[in-house]
Amino acid sequence: MIDYALKKSAQLFITVFGVVTLVFFTLRLIPGDAASAMAGDTISGEALQLMREQMGLNEPLMSQYFGYLRDLVVLDLGQTITTRLPVAEMIGNALPVTMSIALLTILLTVIISIPLGTVAAFMAHKGRTRLDNLLTGFAMLVDLMPSFWTALVFLLLFSLTLGWFPASGAVTLDDPMAFLSRIALPVLVLSVTQIATMARITRTSVLEILSEDYVRTARAMGWSEFRVLFRHALKNAALPIATVIGLSFGNLLNGTVIVEFIFTIPGIGNLLINGINSRDYQLVQTLIVFYALLFVSINFITDLVYRALDPRVSF
Amino acid sequence: MANESVDTAAAARPRLPVLALPTEGLLANRKVQVAAMILVPILALTAFAPLLPLQAPLETNLRAIMQAPSIEHPFGTDRMGRDVLARTLAGVKVSLLVGFSVASIALVAGMVLGTLAGFFGGVIDRVVMTVVDIFLAFPSLLLAIGLVAIVGTGLIPVITAIAMADVPRFIRLQRSQVLSLRSRPFIDAARTVRASKGWMMTRHIIPNTVAPMLVAGSIASANAILVEASLSFLGLGIMPPAPSLGNIIRDGQTYLQEAWWISTLPGIVILLIAFALHFLSDGAREELDPRARK
Amino acid sequence: MTYQSELAPTLLEVRGLRTEFDTRAGTVTAVDGVSFTIDKGERVAIVGESGSGKSAMAMSLLRLLAHPGRVAGGQVLLDGRDLARLSERALNAIRGREVGTVFQDPMSSLDPVMKISRQMVEPIMRNLGLPREAARAEAIRWLDKVGIPDPAGRIDAYPFEMSGGMRQRVMIAMALSCRPRLIIADEPTTALDVTIQAQIVAMLKDLTAEAGAAMMFITHDLGLVARFAHKVAVMYAGRIVEFGPVDAIFAAPQHPYTQSLLRTIPSVGATKDTRLPQIPGIPPDMRHKPEGCAFRARCAVAVSRCAVDVPDLTARTGDLVAACWVEGGLRAAPKALEPRRRVAAPLDDTRVTVEINNLVKHFEGRAFLPRNRRAVRAVNGVSLRVRKGDTLGIVGESGCGKSTVARLLLGLEQPTSGEIFIEGLAQMVFQDPFSSFNPKMTIARIIDEPLAVQNWGDRPARAERVEQLITQVGLEPAHLARYPSQLSGGQRQRVAIARALALNPSVVVADEPTSALDVSVRAQIINLLADLKAELGISFVFISHDLLTVRYISDRIAVMYLGEVVEYGPAEDVFDRPMHPYTRALIDAVPIPDPRLEAARSNAPLRGDLPSPLDLPVGCVFASRCPMATELCRTDKPVLKKYRHSQEAACHYAK
Repeated sequence: MIDYALKKSAQLFITVFGVVTLVFFTLRLIPGDAASAMAGDTISGEALQLMREQMGLNEPLMSQYFGYLRDLVVLDLGQTITTRLPVAEMIGNALPVTMSIALLTILLTVIISIPLGTVAAFMAHKGRTRLDNLLTGFAMLVDLMPSFWTALVFLLLFSLTLGWFPASGAVTLDDPMAFLSRIALPVLVLSVTQIATMARITRTSVLEILSEDYVRTARAMGWSEFRVLFRHALKNAALPIATVIGLSFGNLLNGTVIVEFIFTIPGIGNLLINGINSRDYQLVQTLIVFYALLFVSINFITDLVYRALDPRVSF
Repeated sequence: MANESVDTAAAARPRLPVLALPTEGLLANRKVQVAAMILVPILALTAFAPLLPLQAPLETNLRAIMQAPSIEHPFGTDRMGRDVLARTLAGVKVSLLVGFSVASIALVAGMVLGTLAGFFGGVIDRVVMTVVDIFLAFPSLLLAIGLVAIVGTGLIPVITAIAMADVPRFIRLQRSQVLSLRSRPFIDAARTVRASKGWMMTRHIIPNTVAPMLVAGSIASANAILVEASLSFLGLGIMPPAPSLGNIIRDGQTYLQEAWWISTLPGIVILLIAFALHFLSDGAREELDPRARK
Repeated sequence: MTYQSELAPTLLEVRGLRTEFDTRAGTVTAVDGVSFTIDKGERVAIVGESGSGKSAMAMSLLRLLAHPGRVAGGQVLLDGRDLARLSERALNAIRGREVGTVFQDPMSSLDPVMKISRQMVEPIMRNLGLPREAARAEAIRWLDKVGIPDPAGRIDAYPFEMSGGMRQRVMIAMALSCRPRLIIADEPTTALDVTIQAQIVAMLKDLTAEAGAAMMFITHDLGLVARFAHKVAVMYAGRIVEFGPVDAIFAAPQHPYTQSLLRTIPSVGATKDTRLPQIPGIPPDMRHKPEGCAFRARCAVAVSRCAVDVPDLTARTGDLVAACWVEGGLRAAPKALEPRRRVAAPLDDTRVTVEINNLVKHFEGRAFLPRNRRAVRAVNGVSLRVRKGDTLGIVGESGCGKSTVARLLLGLEQPTSGEIFIEGLAQMVFQDPFSSFNPKMTIARIIDEPLAVQNWGDRPARAERVEQLITQVGLEPAHLARYPSQLSGGQRQRVAIARALALNPSVVVADEPTSALDVSVRAQIINLLADLKAELGISFVFISHDLLTVRYISDRIAVMYLGEVVEYGPAEDVFDRPMHPYTRALIDAVPIPDPRLEAARSNAPLRGDLPSPLDLPVGCVFASRCPMATELCRTDKPVLKKYRHSQEAACHYAK
């Protein structure tokens, strides 16, 4: 286990270092430089020079790079150029919102998709193909709905037509009920896609396990189909499914950007889009690195937990 | 010496595993047929859009703004009186172009780099896979968003950005295929007759990777279409007035209550295309890998 | 059913059982009207090749078939109760409780994420109504009975922490622990090594006898059956073609299929100039079953009626029943002797084609931390010679390093140390012909590949050579345009042999060339190899775990154990007068297809498992399992020494 964790940590370190380096140098590829790109046509001459000075753009490239690395290590994320707010504080405010959406989505997904997928697998295994085809075909269709489109349809249906959820309004954690009703639609939109994906994956894993020899052994020992399905098949499928849920976190991050944009929710996704639109490269750079770190760390943890929990993986 | 019966059923099976795909089996596959039933009409409509009795996609008609779907305007009109169907078909053209280009780039780059990494291993493998890991550290849409933020908007940047996110996935897939093929006994069999590395690569390894890569390519094109639409929707892809399914839907967002058709109908078209492409790859996989058949 | 003993009451009676599989290509009848009985405490063997429907039949009894298989008709009477009509719920009370099952592959038949204790204790609690503690004690008792060392500790192990042989013991303990009256064992030893196989068979026999349970033992290995069965049913193409007491089946079989199967097993005394009797053709494809008797196409005595009517089981001499229109089966026709093989005059030539000196191969383990790296010592100082035109047989169980030696010979692996000299070219015939061919190449290109790689001649010359090769291995040029998936297993192995011969090698290495083939087809391939050896005068290295076949085809035999040669010498000598205790154990483990000979043999099976090649013992590698090991063996490593005039053995106590 330690051996594997060390090896994986070394890999993680290289990856993170590569991510930071890649983002830093790619941003320097912008024609002109970040200052002139941000300034656009409005600022010129001395003001632009001053801005360059402030952003450290006049220093040699490599010293900028090392300065940036140093700042990252001590978690000095600097200030945004447009709002003059500390980037760390902005992320700190936005992150709980995004994470609430992501975690609620995962919760809803697990509760619904796993029983659904298990039942579909059971149907398929028993040869009731028509019902199974219907379920899987529907899941695939839902899975492929572009999330921004689903969001609009839900907005039209549940918010504008039925008026169940507010389409706009302040989002603060101080008022939990208002907060929940505000993020309910975004969570629903994301869940629909995630449920479809996870149900399909659950179905595939459980179906595969149902044709394993040890399932037949359990049947031969006189256990009922129901018990075999839940005690043996689902138990064996649980770990891989949990892993896929962990790995699907990237998809979820993609999705939060879109729903936060549509429902105007002040999460890190919205922060990113606003940053791009206001050409605040300091903010964009930090956010992109932050997303990558979040994503690889969760994958890393998922992988280690999987290995720690699977009795078959010996160390 | 007794000969085994030549006319066994196994011997009489008509299927020929040609280089890439078992064409006959594919055409007979139900899922492939369903995919074709969706894709062929959409392709035909898109190709012959100029011949249809529709307004040009950019033509405005302020006397007929936000009209509900009718015979004249099957998808209705938008706030400037443009025909939503005409714009949708023009958007589909963009989508298909993006899907096809991204899949092609990813396939070619993935096969070349993945084969090199998998077959030669060592330093090449380590360098390629480190870069791949770095790119895979970004959630795919976010990588595309980041790249578009730098490179700028428009068709070519969008294709580049999406392809950049897909190429690493294809390298990884191709590499794992090559690695598993490399340990197959038929490679040992080729080594026992002193076949060169080039011989094994061109005659044994690459031919066996083509079909699964095409299956993955079909999914990648569907995915690229969805990502392009998302980018355009966020205002980071194809910029108005040039139509794209994403920006048409974004246009309609403001008038969701007054003119639901502007956003909803193009969305259904995207969904149909993505669905058909997935069905196509599912069907192809069934034909290629009999174990996937259920 | 014709067979019914008056005294012993019937336990299981199967009547007209039919099992169908609904496939894309239509309905396949895998089991086509099977009827038989098993008496209380009786051991019945069901013998058949793959596709004969034997496993489908066994699984049908308890309706354990997975979709798309289903029981389409017939009765399964257990004590008069028809299991085929029972509800799932009622059947669940029978499964495990009345009828226990042992499956083929112990590696996959136990739930990998559940401890043995949970898998064993809960069924005991449910079926025997014991409280948890008592059930656990009962489970430990059974684990002890099946020979699991330290059962009280091992019961809390996960299956992956045990070897294949150990897991199969656990399966048997599980099946017996609920005191069933019938055990169904579906090829329980096929996935295991010969010495382990012997242990398992002996244990199954003893424990079922002790528990008074009946046993239905499914196998493809007719030889194995002689050791323990009371009765034998032979299945072919979904039907029982012959059924009766084991002595009668072996002494005077009545059905041509049984008769041919028994003849194809190389006998202990077979000489090299006699061809193995072989069954022509291949088993029928169940998707397109022929009219009339399914064995007709491969039968030497088929008459016109066989093409029209399916024969039913009718009573024959010796309490047998057989399904054949021809009385006496093959005995009805004069025995067509296989033409004798012209054995090449023993070459005075003492030139050596292959010489291996002190060959060592270690596989380095990969780990991030150096202290976790451990080497698997696959081959530890092997020295062997193959003379021109000779065949060297290498035998041993899995993990003994025999396949690594083959790969080293072919240059597929680089030796850690030691030397290999080969005069001329070495070529290989692989175990599984299907995976050793590129599925996207035609047979013509597969055979042509060695020639093309070596730029042998021009295109027409190569095409001519390919045609010559394919006829040489008994196929037709028409096969050349096919793909590997369109040939049968035996045909593919012929193609593999043709390809190996393409470059006129001086030595052909065949690694388990028949183990992936149907039993009835194996003799064809053995004969082909022996014929080619006699015709072409090339050397062979024949690697197998099947001692009878190795003995039949080889001039010299090397017995390997844990990466070392423990005995080496002329085939007949090694087989008839083994000097190493391991060789003796291997030979004792080989089932002889004759119940009377079997009964007379002292087959005390070898105890224990193979030690891990990760940490080998200091002294003799075999000491941990050897019945005669002493302190000397555990500390001093014996070397291969010459005894008699040509036999070598690595044992302190060899004489």
